[in-house]
Amino acid sequence: MNISLKIKSLLNEAEVYRSQGLLNEAREKYQAASGLITKIDKLKNKDSLLRAIAEKIQFIDKKSAKTGTAPSSPELSEKGQDLIKNLFGENDLEKAVALAKFGQFERALAEFQALLKNEAYRLEAGKNIIRCKLATASLDDAVAQYQQWFSQDLFSAVQLESIRVYLQPILDKKGFGTPLPVPVGEKDDADGIEFSMPEPEEEMLDITSIGITFTNGTHKGKMVEFDVNFQSGDMLSLIVAKNDRGMIEDLNEGDDIEDVQFYSPIAMFKGTAVVATKTAIQSGPKQGDFCLDLKILTA
Amino acid sequence: MAIFNLKKKEIECKVVFYGPGRCGKTTNLEYIFKSYKKQITGEMVSINTEGDRTLFFDFLPMGLGKIKGCDVRVQLYTVPGQVKYSSTRKLVLRGVDGIVFVADSLEVRREKNMLSLKDLQANLKEYGKSIFKVPLILQYNKRDLADEGIPLMSTEQMEKDLNRQLKVPSFAASAVKGAGVGVTLKACLMETLKSLQREFKWAE
Repeated sequence: MNISLKIKSLLNEAEVYRSQGLLNEAREKYQAASGLITKIDKLKNKDSLLRAIAEKIQFIDKKSAKTGTAPSSPELSEKGQDLIKNLFGENDLEKAVALAKFGQFERALAEFQALLKNEAYRLEAGKNIIRCKLATASLDDAVAQYQQWFSQDLFSAVQLESIRVYLQPILDKKGFGTPLPVPVGEKDDADGIEFSMPEPEEEMLDITSIGITFTNGTHKGKMVEFDVNFQSGDMLSLIVAKNDRGMIEDLNEGDDIEDVQFYSPIAMFKGTAVVATKTAIQSGPKQGDFCLDLKILTA
Repeated sequence: MAIFNLKKKEIECKVVFYGPGRCGKTTNLEYIFKSYKKQITGEMVSINTEGDRTLFFDFLPMGLGKIKGCDVRVQLYTVPGQVKYSSTRKLVLRGVDGIVFVADSLEVRREKNMLSLKDLQANLKEYGKSIFKVPLILQYNKRDLADEGIPLMSTEQMEKDLNRQLKVPSFAASAVKGAGVGVTLKACLMETLKSLQREFKWAE
């Protein structure tokens, strides 16, 4: 192919790639064309051609920079957010979690605040409020929120401790000086809940499901898999349908579960867990189902 | 995961259009939205706030009517193709029943196709699914660009790159012109429904 045809072809390719939004590919072709043009000595409009190509490259660079610095989760319209809620969540808590997962923190925060009124969802809503505050505001805001709850009686001591256990390691990691106040009271009555070795949220893998091998009851010796509905650090929440209540009948708060298979997006591993809470859901679409909170002990 | 309502004899399944950035996933859905009015049961929603790049996902609901006595509804989704939206892709892929992998026929996008297919395999694995078992169709898009003198990979090359082990149905297409879009969707729906039929045994 002669050189002018080659240049034409490169410029054609560059234009098509640019129109397709393939900016890197377009830039490469423009640069290749520019390199060829530079080598031709007796080209009449050489300077204007090179200038035009340089302008195109500049435009591409600007567009690339704009794309690169754009927020990865911009705030969506209410309609978009409603769609996310409806498509990715079954109950009110899942809907709010979906909003947070898609980076719609402001709306998620409002929905979690409303869910604090619901006993079945209160703890998870609280943890997710802290999570949203950490994502959108600052450590100070998250701490202020915790301290506000600490001074109120919205959460039980056990629930508040669960929130503290989630937040404190994050504060420690970021070098936040003052430790959070530790709730006292009914926590002492909750046998077997071990909060002394909290793992920072960032260090805990995202667990999608777990397999529990039952040591007694009708499922003795069998491994049953449960989806993890929510996770806050090393606390996993499972919703167990009322029809399956028989499976968890023998699991009580404080019980250790020795053989747990954890399925995470990155790895599958075995470990142990303790039943932190077992609550019957009193209202909403999951009324009658159970919410089982498990704390991972070793993994 | 498809929702099967035994009482009402209704089934709702999820098909995801996957592939590298700028390969034409949204264009596929736009063409389906324009051309299959009878089957479309709602608006196509594109949540893209950055020019024409998909940042979250596109969504299009379809109704296929009664199939073997069961009312079949399908939700079509696209994922954002850009590498940085990995977590959104994973979220959208959750509970998928069938996948159309849209590959870009441009020679310069060869590596991106392979990386995206690998990404799909990894994401499916995280949900406990095997890319070899999930209903999957490959679409080799942008074939029309050959007419503009743009270097494309041959479909044989693309088969070798992407389908050597998978051995799934594949179709050449030009989503912008609509060529190959319908046949790709139809093949994916057939594979998906066959798989769901095996799972739920509703037609037996």
